[in-house]
Amino acid sequence: MSRLSEISVRIEAPTRLGGLGGGVAAVLSELVDMLEKVAHGGEAATIDLRSLPMSPEDRSALQSALGHGEVQATLRADGVSTLQETGISGLWWIEHRDARGELIAELLEVATTPAILAASTEDMVAASRALRSRLEVTHSAAARMTHATLS
Amino acid sequence: MQPLADELAVGDMLRQNGVSRRRFIKYCTGVASAMALPPWMGPAMAQQLQNAPRPSVIYLSFQECTGCFESFTRSFSPTMESLIFNVISLDYDDTLMAAAGEQAESALAKAMHDNYGKYVLIIDGSVPTGAGGGYCTSGGKSAVDTLREAAQGAAAIVCVGTCSSFGGIPFADPNPTDAWPVSAIVANKPIINVSGCPPIPEVITGTLLQYVTTGKVPDLDEHLRPKAFFGTTIHDRCYRRSFYDQGKFAKTFDDEGARNGWCLYELGCKGPTTYNACATTKWNGGTSFPIESGHGCIGCSEPGFWDKGSLYSPLSATDWGKAGESSPRQVLELAAGGIVAGAALGVVSAGSGRLRQYRSEHPLDIDAEEG
Repeated sequence: MSRLSEISVRIEAPTRLGGLGGGVAAVLSELVDMLEKVAHGGEAATIDLRSLPMSPEDRSALQSALGHGEVQATLRADGVSTLQETGISGLWWIEHRDARGELIAELLEVATTPAILAASTEDMVAASRALRSRLEVTHSAAARMTHATLS
Repeated sequence: MQPLADELAVGDMLRQNGVSRRRFIKYCTGVASAMALPPWMGPAMAQQLQNAPRPSVIYLSFQECTGCFESFTRSFSPTMESLIFNVISLDYDDTLMAAAGEQAESALAKAMHDNYGKYVLIIDGSVPTGAGGGYCTSGGKSAVDTLREAAQGAAAIVCVGTCSSFGGIPFADPNPTDAWPVSAIVANKPIINVSGCPPIPEVITGTLLQYVTTGKVPDLDEHLRPKAFFGTTIHDRCYRRSFYDQGKFAKTFDDEGARNGWCLYELGCKGPTTYNACATTKWNGGTSFPIESGHGCIGCSEPGFWDKGSLYSPLSATDWGKAGESSPRQVLELAAGGIVAGAALGVVSAGSGRLRQYRSEHPLDIDAEEG
């Protein structure tokens, strides 16, 4: 029986290509393409980071290549999601976590704002109905008050 | 009039439960990522599901060990409860439902009657036909009779696990209960086989979600398995593949090769001939898969895996991967086409031979009734 320290695990340094792993360079050049398309009126585009085989080194290399931008948004829906604009305008690093805090999706989205941030018209219709009924409750309560005072 | 809960579209149901659109898009994004679908599929799925009706789902358990159902309940993304509450209407499941006895059986009859032609039928377990079907009965009815009746009104049948897909362990030689896969009993209905012993939880829920989203049977391989999950072999996606290519093999489970994480081919790994998503989707919320834990693949999602020789002998020394290996359904189709199957196929497994004999004695029930 060997001890844990005797089980050989060799971590190899990523191949350097302009200071970055080959995979990272490929992602960056795809992002350049996506940014150019979206900036010229193309549809928003997304990369699923979990679908890419990246080592932890690749990941941090990608993060430092992109940096942090001006906006960070937090979405609280079945767990916390963070939407961080990177130092590259219009490029968002999105982490979705479930209620247990587990990462369920990690995306790079190229868009003026991430699509998920916009309120949906269906929700707004339901919300306006809810607000109207609150207003009616307030009105009828006020009417009852007035009636009680007069009599 | 307020529609019945079961008639509501998924989107209405969500709004009624106070689930915002953002929350639902996030949920679908997580599902798409877990299923390794392209990232635009998440929001697209959310959009399509908004107006999709919640289909009635009937889950029947036959000659099985409940391992598949246990697997189903452990799906991380989507979770089974999120499917039940938001996407499907699970009208009968004898393991999960609170009702029992007469109450449960009448729930089944009502679901089949009210949703005739529209419900999704999930079958778990093989169908024993020996002793007049007496090896597996529930509510006084044999599994084979229940299947014949339930299949009539089903829009599609999803076979969960290798037993309902290919016969599985009960079908293995000498098959004492004369057990058969669903495809041997039912014809003229779309059948989706989600094989595995058990199948990967996310492959079960993902297949159901994909069917509900699109309302269509997904692209299937020759064994009727969804290509999205069964399109590549374990070996194609295995992280130890480079050791196979370099000829570096573990020879025993405790030698230097095993410790170095070399290829497990010589220890009986069936990865090269097994189609499944274990190497990518993995198990237990993406923790690992058998090869990552140091044990070779046993090929549990393939037809007849139990009868193909030792799990610990290399592929070259077993009956795996022989030319002409056919699924029960293929053999049926060939037999129906009047081809002398044995000669035409070259090598046919013993199981397929038995199936041909069964088919010649028992015409496909639904064929007979519709024809």
